[in-house]
Amino acid sequence: MLTTSPARIAEPPSSHTQSQRGWRAVLLTSVGAVAGISMIPFVYLLVRASDKPFDEIVQLLLRQKTLEVLATTATLVICVVAINLVLGIAIASGLHFVHLPFRRLLVIPMVLPLAIPSYVFTYTWVALIPSFSGFAAAVFILSISTIPYIILATLAGLRSIDGSQIEVARSLGLNLPQTFLRVVFPQIRGHVSAGALLAGLYTMSDFGAVSLLNVETLTVSIQNMYRASYDRSAAAVISFVLIAFSILFVLADESIKGKSTQSQLLKSTSFKSPLIRKKYLRFGTTSIITAFALVAVILPFYVLLTRFFSNPVAIDWTSLATATISTVSVAALGAIIALVLSAPLGLLLSAGASRFTTVTNKIVVIAHALPGVVVGLALVSIGSKLGALYQTTFLLAFAYAILFLAKSVTSMSSSLARVPDGVKDVAATLGMNPWAVVKKVIAPIAAPGIGIGTILVFLTAMKELPATLMLRPTGFETLATQIWSSGSINRFNEAAPYALILVLVAAIPTFLISRPDKEDHSYLQESTGGPSERT
Amino acid sequence: MLGLVTSCSTSTNEQATNVTEMTIYSGRSEEFIAPFFADWQAATGIKLNVRYGDSAELSAQILEEGSNSPADLFLSQDAGSLGAISQAGLFTTLPSDVAADIPAAYVAANREWVGITGRARVFAYAPVRVKTLPASVTDLTKSIYKNQIGIAPTNASFQAFLAALIENKGSGFAKTWLEGLQANGVKIYLKNSAIVEAIDKGEISLGLVNHYYIWEVSESLGRAINVKNGFFAPSDLGNLINVSGAGVLQTSAKQKTAQDLINYLTSPAAQQKFVTDTHEYSLLDGALPPTDLPTLDKIGAPSLDLKNLSNIKATQDLLIQVGLL
Amino acid sequence: MNALEVSHLKVLLSGKVVLDDLSLSLAPGQIAALLGPSGCGKTTLLRSIAGLIRPSEGQIRFGKQLVSFSSVHLPPHKRKIGYVPQEGALFPHLNIADNISFGIDSSVFTKDQIRQTTKEMLALTGMDGFGKRMPHQLSGGQQTRVALARALAIKPSIVLLDEPFSALDAELRTELRTDVITLLRSQNTTAILVTHDREEGLVSADVIALMREGKIVQSGTPEDVYSAPISPTIASSTGDALVLQASQLSDGTTDYILNPIKSSAPLVASGHIVIRPEEIKLNKSLTDGSINGQIIKIDYYGHDAMVAIDIAGQHLQVRIPGPFDFNVGQSVALEHVGPVRFFSNN
Repeated sequence: MLTTSPARIAEPPSSHTQSQRGWRAVLLTSVGAVAGISMIPFVYLLVRASDKPFDEIVQLLLRQKTLEVLATTATLVICVVAINLVLGIAIASGLHFVHLPFRRLLVIPMVLPLAIPSYVFTYTWVALIPSFSGFAAAVFILSISTIPYIILATLAGLRSIDGSQIEVARSLGLNLPQTFLRVVFPQIRGHVSAGALLAGLYTMSDFGAVSLLNVETLTVSIQNMYRASYDRSAAAVISFVLIAFSILFVLADESIKGKSTQSQLLKSTSFKSPLIRKKYLRFGTTSIITAFALVAVILPFYVLLTRFFSNPVAIDWTSLATATISTVSVAALGAIIALVLSAPLGLLLSAGASRFTTVTNKIVVIAHALPGVVVGLALVSIGSKLGALYQTTFLLAFAYAILFLAKSVTSMSSSLARVPDGVKDVAATLGMNPWAVVKKVIAPIAAPGIGIGTILVFLTAMKELPATLMLRPTGFETLATQIWSSGSINRFNEAAPYALILVLVAAIPTFLISRPDKEDHSYLQESTGGPSERT
Repeated sequence: MLGLVTSCSTSTNEQATNVTEMTIYSGRSEEFIAPFFADWQAATGIKLNVRYGDSAELSAQILEEGSNSPADLFLSQDAGSLGAISQAGLFTTLPSDVAADIPAAYVAANREWVGITGRARVFAYAPVRVKTLPASVTDLTKSIYKNQIGIAPTNASFQAFLAALIENKGSGFAKTWLEGLQANGVKIYLKNSAIVEAIDKGEISLGLVNHYYIWEVSESLGRAINVKNGFFAPSDLGNLINVSGAGVLQTSAKQKTAQDLINYLTSPAAQQKFVTDTHEYSLLDGALPPTDLPTLDKIGAPSLDLKNLSNIKATQDLLIQVGLL
Repeated sequence: MNALEVSHLKVLLSGKVVLDDLSLSLAPGQIAALLGPSGCGKTTLLRSIAGLIRPSEGQIRFGKQLVSFSSVHLPPHKRKIGYVPQEGALFPHLNIADNISFGIDSSVFTKDQIRQTTKEMLALTGMDGFGKRMPHQLSGGQQTRVALARALAIKPSIVLLDEPFSALDAELRTELRTDVITLLRSQNTTAILVTHDREEGLVSADVIALMREGKIVQSGTPEDVYSAPISPTIASSTGDALVLQASQLSDGTTDYILNPIKSSAPLVASGHIVIRPEEIKLNKSLTDGSINGQIIKIDYYGHDAMVAIDIAGQHLQVRIPGPFDFNVGQSVALEHVGPVRFFSNN
């Protein structure tokens, strides 16, 4: 145990740690910028709402109509989420555990509804049943629109469960339902909750379906106030009701995630218990899946195709092609911007959550509940002051990024969390500076999950309407705006070609997200019961 | 033939030399108005960048944009949204030689916007089911029409009518009337076309809409419908004539060009085209009315200063109060 | 010149002192075993040496190079340390060969050289032919071997192993450990092996350092540390230990249950003595003056047996060689054959 006298310093002092500190500062500032950007709609709403005198605000908040609309919205969200949970978990579990023909491909139709905007769903179902309208219809449409989120989330959770646990449970005397409830479900709770959160937030922010079906939710009410009333302040006040409700939702999700079992699985080999072959389960699962595919995919496609081919009005192929290119390019740009914005937050979150990053994360998620019209107007308000930047495709893409940032951020942070702990340290000792660690270790492992999140943003941006209407360059048409401008429900035939092309184009990224999981990717250690890959 | 009125006003605001294009925010749908724009574009060689949207949404957008708005001209489907922009001080005063032939009743008193076509409030009804036609809007609270009436309170035209009612009879009266309707089982629709369709389907028998919807719905369905237009007794407030119109933005650098377009739209040829193609009323004196409908002066519209239609706030507050909004 | 010198190291984590005035040095090629209970700071020490943690006080030097001292902190990627963490931490997205060659600088070595080194490492760790496999296809022991190969591929001056064998079953563990130690010695690598397995430490290392609460309380050769522990508690950390009450008398004798003294010399100090179980001999034949006890229990391990003996109410554990001739219930004579390690109470 000798101590020798201090020797010559071998390396220049502190230059490395300084650059590391510099990096951290850059990341923190970027995250701050992202938080600021996500706050834009909230600030806008505050400014507008404050135009009203306080007692008017209170009166507006407490009047019967507001409470009725809030009740309608709440009931709608609860119904949709409840149905989705039951159905989604059933379908996902069936796909994962039960032996079915073409098992791996069955996921694709389950997820395909993501390619279809809710207003197109509504159009097709009204075409099938002319009296299709009202609350129950809205629950139906929004359920089939959002169930893919829960199915994908549950599947991701199920894949992380060690099959041997199930074998043990069975050997201890638990039957299948008991095994599911006591062994499987607690471990997937966090994943399922994250999927339910996205489904609920989407339902809250949806405008297309509910307005066509005559159901007045908060979003419809807000839109009506903008549209029919020039009282932007009243609309802003009601928007806060929406925000409050979505905060409740986010908190509920937090508490569920907190209780879920955090399983640190360090399996070197995956053990997948053999698939169940019980007849009644196979029959049951097949029936549910077929019924869902029929209702959510086959029938809508059928309607779109027949309308397309029986269209009395000649199809303007040029405008169809232009709209398609416009849609794809601006949506892709939006997805890329979302990726860039979420990268610093995701990186910091993967290094360990601080209060700052957690708060930013929450702001981003809550902003996700805001209807497109609010974000649109907020950006009109700011954007019009930016001169040449206003009404450009870039600003529109930027609006998409703000609207859907939550999807990108959650997928990014959960993908980054899947990087095993010790790996980053080891990479450092093997000579990788922090940037090389990101490039050679973190990025390759997290890439698939991040890719999925980006694709999801792309997909959702393609379908967006209200913000697009406001912020697009004059004359710039997307497939969604073309569908909208074909007017009311009974002029659906004119909208059908655009709707069909939109769905077909959107089906491609949807297919990419739902690709059958390569079973041997079990090397990706699931370290928490947190948000899954595709949130 | 196209006749462009060249104006030589002395008080033009800014006007750029060599205008090659102009930006229009149009609350009138592309399907109807695009042919007019195409004609004008062909004649003048000036490219029109048209942003189509809902009148009220576009007006909200212009209000948000404020003095930074890129729009030169705002073409609206109703006077209400024009009034809102005017109240915010975003329109220019138009010189007296712009749309000189439009009667004063259809032009803003401060000349910040002018009417272009007339849109009459009517009640659409199913002749087979409605035996007693209402003589006044106040009749609609009577029990013979219980559960038979449809309105679209979010619609700008309805609100314009309501504003006229408030202006004329006071908000207390209007409130009583609305509550009377609600008690009478009035059905709420989001669009006027939905009301007409509902009448055709038999859901309701009578609805407060604009006169041209029976044509619009019939064309979109591709068949005749069993719905007709009816007018209330002369001078009844239910007979309001609303206008679609236009205003020029103060911040525009192409004021004269915009005024030229307005003059074109109010020229006899264009006005006649409106009657034939969109079934709206021309506002010019002596012009032909749409098929089977009385001329504007015969309708017996209430005498009302259209400027007062921009008192939207009171209207909206009332609707919010009774819970229709 | 020592390969590794840690001087007066102090490390704080979340405000708590985890390493406290810790000093340790290793000559080149020496293997040190770090023994201690969980939470005593073993992993923290390794991570500090690797540069993953920044100490608040103290020095760390590799040979002549000062890597850590107040404002000087050579970042981990410049230290050329081989680090094998507890969980192996193979890169899941790379195959075995790429894992192994991950740290080799491709700007310095050619592709062929890298390939060659990888082949050597595979052979050295007994993983020939596994190059194309993916980590999740390997068993725990195989993953450890690869992790070691990966660490050695960069020809590090020091290798740090954090309980690398803990997840393995006994038989595999011994075999793998032997292979790893042999490999390290063949390369003359300086290494620190963290373990909580006492025997593993004794068998593998040149130097044993016993850690407790962030400090190294005793270090030395295995023999020294085993036979001359500096306290009864320390004694337990290197092997089974019997701690018996004892008194030291003025004439230099020590009185304890296996050596009762009937002298009249005054008491100088009271305390405890530490005896190793194998330092007690049992004899079937009882004599006058022999210390006798009764066998309560025999645990037979094959190569030896642990016998529990009751002496006047006290229970002692004695280790005897395999073949024996005792039965439970039998009375035997006990003889202490070994050093008297007395620790005073003061």
